[in-house]
Amino acid sequence: MKIDPVTVEVIRNALNYTAEEMGIALKNSAYSHNIKERMDHSCAIFDPSGNLLAQAEHIPVHLGSLPWGAKNVLRYLEKNKESWEKEDMVMVNDPYVIGTHLNDLSLIKPIFFDERLIGFCINKAHHVDVGGQSPGSISTDATSLFQEGVVIPPVKLISRGKMNQNLLEDFIKKVRNPKTTKGDLRAQIASNNLGVKRIIELANRKGDDILSLAFTDIISYGEKRMRERLKIIPEGIYRAEDCLEDIGDSDSLTWIRVTLKRDEDLLSVSFKGTDPEVNSPFNAVFGVTLSSTYFAIKSIVDPEAPMNEGVLKPIKAFAPEGSLVNPKRPAPVSGGNLETSQRIVDTVFKALSQALLNLVPAASHGSMNNVIVGGFDPLRKRKWVFYETIGGGSGARHRKDGVDGISCNMTNTMNTPIEAIEQYYPMLFLEYELRTGTHGKGIWNGGCGIRRAWTLTGPSAEVTVLGERHKIPPWGVAGGKPGELGAYWVKKEGGKKEKIKSKTTLSLKKGDTLIIETPGGGGFGDLKESKKPNYD
Amino acid sequence: MVNRTNLPFSGNMSFKLKIGIDTGGTFTDLVAFDEETKKTIIIKLPSSPDDPSEAVIEVIKCLRKKSKKELSLIVHASTLGTNLFLGQIGLNIPKGALVTTSGFRDVLEIGRQRRAELYNPFFERKKPLIERNLRFTVNERVNFKGKVLKSIDEKEVIDLGRKIRKEGVKTIAISFLHSYVNSENEVRVKDILKKELPDKVIVSSHEVDPEYREYERTSTTVINSLLVPVVSRYLEMIKKRLKKLGVDVPIYMMQSNGGLATVDEVSKIPVTTIESGPATGVTASAYWAKMIGVENILSFDMGGTTAKAGAVINGVPQMVSEYEVGGKVHSGRIVKGSGYSVRSPFIDLAEVSGGGGTIAWVDQGDFLRVGPLSAGADPGPACYGRWGANPTVTDANLILGRLGKKGLSGGEIELFKELAENSLKEKIAEPLGLSLVEAANGIIEVVNNHMTRALRLVSIERGHDPRDFSMLAFGGAGPMHAPFLADELAIKKIFIPPSPGVFSALGLLLSDFRHDLMRSVMKEASKINRSTLKEIFEKLESEAFRILKKEGFRSDRIILERKLSLRYLGQSYELLVSASKNLEGTFDLFHIRHQETYGYAERSEPVEVVNAHLVAIGQIKKPELKKEVLRSTSPSSKALIEKRSVYFDDTGWKKTPVFSRHFLYSGNQINGPAILE
Repeated sequence: MKIDPVTVEVIRNALNYTAEEMGIALKNSAYSHNIKERMDHSCAIFDPSGNLLAQAEHIPVHLGSLPWGAKNVLRYLEKNKESWEKEDMVMVNDPYVIGTHLNDLSLIKPIFFDERLIGFCINKAHHVDVGGQSPGSISTDATSLFQEGVVIPPVKLISRGKMNQNLLEDFIKKVRNPKTTKGDLRAQIASNNLGVKRIIELANRKGDDILSLAFTDIISYGEKRMRERLKIIPEGIYRAEDCLEDIGDSDSLTWIRVTLKRDEDLLSVSFKGTDPEVNSPFNAVFGVTLSSTYFAIKSIVDPEAPMNEGVLKPIKAFAPEGSLVNPKRPAPVSGGNLETSQRIVDTVFKALSQALLNLVPAASHGSMNNVIVGGFDPLRKRKWVFYETIGGGSGARHRKDGVDGISCNMTNTMNTPIEAIEQYYPMLFLEYELRTGTHGKGIWNGGCGIRRAWTLTGPSAEVTVLGERHKIPPWGVAGGKPGELGAYWVKKEGGKKEKIKSKTTLSLKKGDTLIIETPGGGGFGDLKESKKPNYD
Repeated sequence: MVNRTNLPFSGNMSFKLKIGIDTGGTFTDLVAFDEETKKTIIIKLPSSPDDPSEAVIEVIKCLRKKSKKELSLIVHASTLGTNLFLGQIGLNIPKGALVTTSGFRDVLEIGRQRRAELYNPFFERKKPLIERNLRFTVNERVNFKGKVLKSIDEKEVIDLGRKIRKEGVKTIAISFLHSYVNSENEVRVKDILKKELPDKVIVSSHEVDPEYREYERTSTTVINSLLVPVVSRYLEMIKKRLKKLGVDVPIYMMQSNGGLATVDEVSKIPVTTIESGPATGVTASAYWAKMIGVENILSFDMGGTTAKAGAVINGVPQMVSEYEVGGKVHSGRIVKGSGYSVRSPFIDLAEVSGGGGTIAWVDQGDFLRVGPLSAGADPGPACYGRWGANPTVTDANLILGRLGKKGLSGGEIELFKELAENSLKEKIAEPLGLSLVEAANGIIEVVNNHMTRALRLVSIERGHDPRDFSMLAFGGAGPMHAPFLADELAIKKIFIPPSPGVFSALGLLLSDFRHDLMRSVMKEASKINRSTLKEIFEKLESEAFRILKKEGFRSDRIILERKLSLRYLGQSYELLVSASKNLEGTFDLFHIRHQETYGYAERSEPVEVVNAHLVAIGQIKKPELKKEVLRSTSPSSKALIEKRSVYFDDTGWKKTPVFSRHFLYSGNQINGPAILE
């Protein structure tokens, strides 16, 4: 039986609205700054086989890895002879199963209609701390997943509507801010409950058989559209490489290599030749590699396409096991999600740019510029942990300059207002400005980086920074110059400004200042060429 | 169901005309209420986007032809603010300067650091309203407690004044870090600059938006400073032109908070009027709901381009504290980071592209899509018969028989069904392999889908069940779509006001004056000094009295309400709660509200007082309503115009009676399906 395209469109909209509504519910009832101010969470709806049907546009790195993760969870439970029951809620954060890193906790709830499983609601949220060796569960020196926090394989947090209290308490005991974790978990549960309720209402209105047919159509329409759109890439093979700094041994470069091959209406993406996994937390689980790859290709080939499994089907990705982009358990992964994901996008963009020069931007600042700081604050008589990511310049585009000081590619979180930070933490900000002149020059210029500096007003604090592009600058395109390097500095009270490593943990004393300078984006087109090239 | 009541005015001693003028994107509407006859005069003319005051004068000229009676007052809502920042042709943003704390010159430009479109590699950030070379800094600093760490060096500011003078700017905005706790440095700099640059508009952030979050406060201050010359000139222009016509009456402006203010007040803080037009519809709905004895109502306003939904709960329109002007709307919500942030109380509205002129199309994946493009008034829907037209929602309604041939603007625009059919066939039905009727029905279903979404946003997503609401539908196309939306949301009652097409303009005559004042408190509940809080409120109250008295209100027409915005220490968003006499009571209310809104409360957690708010209302004398006498349940024979074939989703084509609403009276009952025209 075939159903008409109008019904499909109505159901598709309803699924999207439901995913968005789940996101709002999660944000509104969550407890942590990270979810409420920065919106570091994502929601999606899947069919019974774990195929993505609809998603709310939140954080790219979460979303792209969920289709892979959902199917892994289904397989995992099947292998363990666990069946899905009404009112179950499965919890998982094992990155080797669900993708990304341990901080991202996912909840999965089955949707039953008349005793029949018709799909799943899934949400994922970044918890500020999930235990492990360092506050915030992100470090620069973990050598195993188990140092990064509590690892939870897919388990039923709620079984037939009954909360597994032992499991919950056991997890809560191991994290540094149990109250916040509990609050955020409660918000995640509420969000899935709401999503399931909405889909059941939809099934009541439309009939579950019609719903299932529409699910199939949504995916096949998405696939048809993507197969058509992929043909804008001229048939052929495109190769590129790009690197991360100081994640293996110090003073080393670790390379990501990609080969794209467009053949008929398929695109294969192979990471063969990428360097092996590293003994530091910068390995990207395959889910992260997939989401970065999907993000890069969809952005260039069809940014407007409604995201679902069909859009992903014609893209076949491969990464050798044991490599930086498909590590073997228990290699540590917390930073792979943050920095390596950005570099995978750069690498795929670089390859695509050979095929579709005018559609691909030059490299953006290429880092999330993570700052994690914490200590004891005697003024407020409490322990504190603060986490932020800082934007930089975006890459220049054909006929358009890059954007100054903004979140790029795999992240899109907001900044935390300085007036809010100073109220809560012993920090006094000195600067938050654009680094003018740091853009990569070209016919079209890249965007400028940011300078953000603050002085510690409490007695002492421990800071971890995690950045990139301090040695190899963001590349330009078509003769455009690279953007300026990033640099991090510490100025001890009364002392001189000294450069620090892009990835390091250090102690600050009262009066010390941390200065973060983020890179500029690459330029597009060679200014010096005597004749302006025709890029049309 | 049609509810018919007398218009909500009772006579004043002097028999004059009260005028409401609502300038919208497509039309400028005028409603005049005659205090003697209790009748209304309605005028609808095309807006004049290049110079919006022109259409305002035109509708009044038009009115003069219909009635020679003296005018008593004019209440006006305009889209001037929105259009200015949407880059409307003919409106120029004035050249302005910004003065900020040294080290923070780019806060205005970086904003919240987020890109508005996730997957678009060609994304853009809106051009900053003040370019970098006109953003200046001063060596000053105040900390979060209000302690001055660096005070103002007079000479530095005098030099700055000279520098700014050379730039030829019209306005200067001043925004320093933490000025919401201590405005000393902002005041000093403003005083010095005023002396140096006496002819410039100078606005400082603590006067406009004394609340934390530096980007939002700076942006609001900048927008306000740029609006001052534009709005003042606009209002002066109207006054001058009216004088030429021999009209000299007070003009009141509608604000985004749904209340009125005098031209004097609005010229000082014009940022409060940015969304005045849409707010009017919700305020009018609230008034209407009270009149018909309904507590909770969803207002649904569907025009030519967009549909807007708002919620009235217990008689009170729901508000939000933030908005982005010039931003993009994605399925009912403004996309964060796509426009310029403005903090000021706004009536909560969800807007979707869904109007009579919204265009249907088939996308690359063979999906039927409706919107976001609109055919506007020109070329309009395909059935208008103008060149280059596309199939629209109006065309679909015409094909399904829901609209008659003379359907629009009381028959002034003739509709050609055949053109609608051809266009739908060629662009929708054939590419999708559907019959004409399936295609038309599909368009209606998809657009209703979008609009249901808007209604859901303001109800379900705010934690309210739509089944507890009635619906009030207005705007040119609202009443026709309302029954289907109500059905989807299980809403049982729909009210349609008389003259739904100019309901917003009428609403202008039903509104009170309102001013929202606010001061930052930012203290943990246990550490709060009650006398300090009392002092803050008393200061706000005397300020409110001063404003409203100047606007002509006696004390007995002034209502003040104290509110506190509260949160659990460590949270980042606040809830606004009415302040009761004792603080414990207020905190108790906060826990209850938190439970209702977010599903939990943590009574053991410390509570933080973020801001003190004062809502000051100046009550306009409202008419006593005469109830119309109930007449017989069966409508008069004159009411039935024809029986027309109309298509309904569940029954297919059906001969359906069509009634003229002009011959329907209070108490008449009609069994559906039926068309009321």
